[in-house]
Amino acid sequence: MMNKLLATLAGCVRPGALRALAFGLAAAIAATTLPAATPASAHGERSQQAFLRMRTLNWYDVKWSKTEVNVNEEMVLSGKVHVFSGWPQAVAKPDVAFLNVGEPGPVLIRKGAYVGDVPAPRSFSLQVGKDYEYKLVLKARRQGRFHVHVQMNVEGGGPIVGPGEWITIKGDMANFTNPVTLLDGSTIDLETYGITWTYIYHFAWMAAAAVWILYWFMTKGLIVRYWWVKAGKANELITVREKRIGGLWLAATLLAVLFGYAWANSAFPRTLPMQAGLLKGIDPIALPAATVTAQFKGGSYTVPGRELSVKLRITNSGTEPVKIGEFTTAGLRFLNPSVFTTRPQFPEYLLADRGLAVSDETPIAPGETRDVTIIVQDARFDIERLSDLAYDTDSQFGGLLFFFSPSGNRVGVEIGGPVIPRFAAGATL
Amino acid sequence: MSISTEAGAPAGKAWKSKEEFLGCVMLTDWILLVVLFAVVLGSFHIHYMLLAGDWDFWIDFKDRRMWPTVAPIVAMCFAAAVQSFLWQKFRLPIGATVACLALLTGEWINRYDNFWGWTFFPINLVFPSALIPMGFWLDVVLMMSGSWLVTALVGSMGWGLLFYPINWPVLAQYHQSAEIDGVLLTLADLIGFNYVRTGTPEYIRMVERGTLRTFGKDVVPVAAFFSSFISMLIYFLWWKIGTWFTNTKYIEVDDI
Amino acid sequence: MSLTTEKAAGSVRAAESDTIVNYWPAYWTMICLFVFYVTIRIYEQYFGWKAGLDSFAPEFQTYWLNLMWTELPLEFIAFCGIGGYLWKTRDRNIDAVTPREEMRRLLTLIGWLAIYAFTVYWGASYFTEQDGTWHQTVIRDTDFTPSHILEFYLSYPIYIIAGWGAFMYARTRIPQFANKISLPFLLFFAGPFMIFPNIGLNEWGHTFWFMEELFTAPLHWGFVFFGWFALAVFGTACQVLDRVIELSKEYEKDALSL
Repeated sequence: MMNKLLATLAGCVRPGALRALAFGLAAAIAATTLPAATPASAHGERSQQAFLRMRTLNWYDVKWSKTEVNVNEEMVLSGKVHVFSGWPQAVAKPDVAFLNVGEPGPVLIRKGAYVGDVPAPRSFSLQVGKDYEYKLVLKARRQGRFHVHVQMNVEGGGPIVGPGEWITIKGDMANFTNPVTLLDGSTIDLETYGITWTYIYHFAWMAAAAVWILYWFMTKGLIVRYWWVKAGKANELITVREKRIGGLWLAATLLAVLFGYAWANSAFPRTLPMQAGLLKGIDPIALPAATVTAQFKGGSYTVPGRELSVKLRITNSGTEPVKIGEFTTAGLRFLNPSVFTTRPQFPEYLLADRGLAVSDETPIAPGETRDVTIIVQDARFDIERLSDLAYDTDSQFGGLLFFFSPSGNRVGVEIGGPVIPRFAAGATL
Repeated sequence: MSISTEAGAPAGKAWKSKEEFLGCVMLTDWILLVVLFAVVLGSFHIHYMLLAGDWDFWIDFKDRRMWPTVAPIVAMCFAAAVQSFLWQKFRLPIGATVACLALLTGEWINRYDNFWGWTFFPINLVFPSALIPMGFWLDVVLMMSGSWLVTALVGSMGWGLLFYPINWPVLAQYHQSAEIDGVLLTLADLIGFNYVRTGTPEYIRMVERGTLRTFGKDVVPVAAFFSSFISMLIYFLWWKIGTWFTNTKYIEVDDI
Repeated sequence: MSLTTEKAAGSVRAAESDTIVNYWPAYWTMICLFVFYVTIRIYEQYFGWKAGLDSFAPEFQTYWLNLMWTELPLEFIAFCGIGGYLWKTRDRNIDAVTPREEMRRLLTLIGWLAIYAFTVYWGASYFTEQDGTWHQTVIRDTDFTPSHILEFYLSYPIYIIAGWGAFMYARTRIPQFANKISLPFLLFFAGPFMIFPNIGLNEWGHTFWFMEELFTAPLHWGFVFFGWFALAVFGTACQVLDRVIELSKEYEKDALSL
């Protein structure tokens, strides 16, 4: 039966055709793993609702130590984040959060992550209303130009994406290494560690499975066996000899498993379970008591003009006069040009360097309380889709307002509250 | 007006000669094997990836509590169903092996071509769980005993218990440890930490995070025994489901 | 009537060569599908990263949404076209079919099943897991992500069309499947088909629940349930084999002596 079968098959398949098919298959599979194109856009954060981006995490002082690195070179992405007090009801509180990187696959690997001074390779808890410092040490792996964001994942909230910057990586991923020193002092390259053995181990078992299946298939095939069973001769189909072979096959399998297990235990005598658990008690930034308060007195959002107007009652209880210099929300920075006379280093798509206007520009003197209206206006508000605020079920904005004193002191104050959408152009508060 | 090519009554013969019959049977056997393999592959793969996939995708999900509990239970469904069909209809002791090989074929193609080829994760982060020796065990137990009841009891026990030892020769190396910034991490944790998954934060891992009380450090045997017991129940159920899917019933056109 | 006559003429021509089995149309279909899938996968490799990360970017519209708006109508047309053609050209005197012709059709059906199985592999295995690859790597910001456009809206409809074709071929040409409805065959086709409507549940859930891309989330279990029905290939195969054996009774001794 088997000879006939092979003869039939041999007749069906020409060696040349088989070679061509195999070559085509290999080429096709290889083609799917070709280096991919460089991304042209951001990371999908624009689909997130405005309230989620404005009223959860307020990113500030975000810095990328380099924007051009070579493969294997490290860079640092650092900054601060304010956990908004008016955290929206629809999103779970950040009791379990994880410091992540928004990037197109592991183009940079994360060598280190820190919240405050605490290394944070695992998840951690954040307190609402507090500010935290973070730092990500990234090592370039794949060549290309990529948009790299800081990102915090919040359990029950999903990914909350911070500002992103284009990073150019030069070189070749083939040269990338990821050396790691083990507890026993030896060093391995994690990029490739154990991969060849994994292939060998898996494919050897899979080849054995193919042998087992083909052995049985080729004794009588499917149709004939089916016929035998239908004819009531099922119990004659497996011979005593075959049972013996099966027994030996299983014995060899179990022996191999036993040997493999014992070998692994002797080759790696010091193994530990995976490490997990929540990091708690990470200290927030110890900010001095705020010398400025801003009380929300109403706001509106004019949809056609992309203009957010907010009335605030500001009290300066400090010793220096202060001016309103910046409003930041959802990673966007709206600057008051009368305070920022030079353009700071920040990704262009997020920096509205003339985006903030204040109804009364005179500094707020120590001890003074004044009602002012701030106007946040820039096309970026729309491009980043924060104008969809008007369509949220909970139409509230949020963000950080920064005050500056003549000595260069900066005070950040959280502001937020409901805003009324105005759909007619020219409507005022 | 019939489109039948031979005029007259539907009498006559299907085959011209014995040679034609045998040649066709042999060729069609291969086609049927491919059909069964591909369908089992697709069906088993979608089942496995959506019930146990996260443990299977990532090295830092492969813990000693949840993974050895869930993976064998979920895999048992198709092993039992395919055994039921191939044993009862063909007396072939290869059902579990076919299911395992089909699944692993689909998984490996994907891990290599997509996880590595498309999103550039190293294979040591994304290799699947090994299952083949469990398939051999289940098939040989069925062949030797000739009884699905014995296979459910004895076979399922071995199925669950074998899972971790089978995977350990590959996994052990990734459970060596390193100190990173004063934090203890296994290499499995570290691979997951180093190679950024923007859509997969650490807390999403469903892994052992410490229990109130364990019997010393013997977490795996407890998980494996539990998995085996549930696998027994699954085997009974899915043998019957497999049998049900081999039904050859017809329903009247008017009934639908 | 004229269509039937044309088909009859074609069948007569086929009968002249009197080949009982020809799997080459199935092979060629699978080869073409393979080339198509690899091509689309290369497209995804390139344009997934280049234009697929931000659904609000104009290039997303160009390279991805346009693809979807092209493929969906074509799939609908193919579904209707194949079903309609097979129905229009059905054997209107099916009980008069000769054993040889019936055997030929049964073997052709096995070719159809091979195509269906091939597309089930690509849809349920390859493209479904590559969806996991993509969504666990990047942020899912739309229902129509690049991997969904190729998985849900391309590879799934293709296997549905293939299953539909196989089912309709049997319904219109093979007496046992034409006179009554085969339960396993119906399940084999309809179960995986139901995965498609289940996409609605999936997208509804992903829209309203903030979820990371956990593949084992209960939201995904509907796919699993309907995926099980592909196992009805068992019963379908038995029905085909039962008839093949019945039609080959004269060689029973030969078969049982093998």
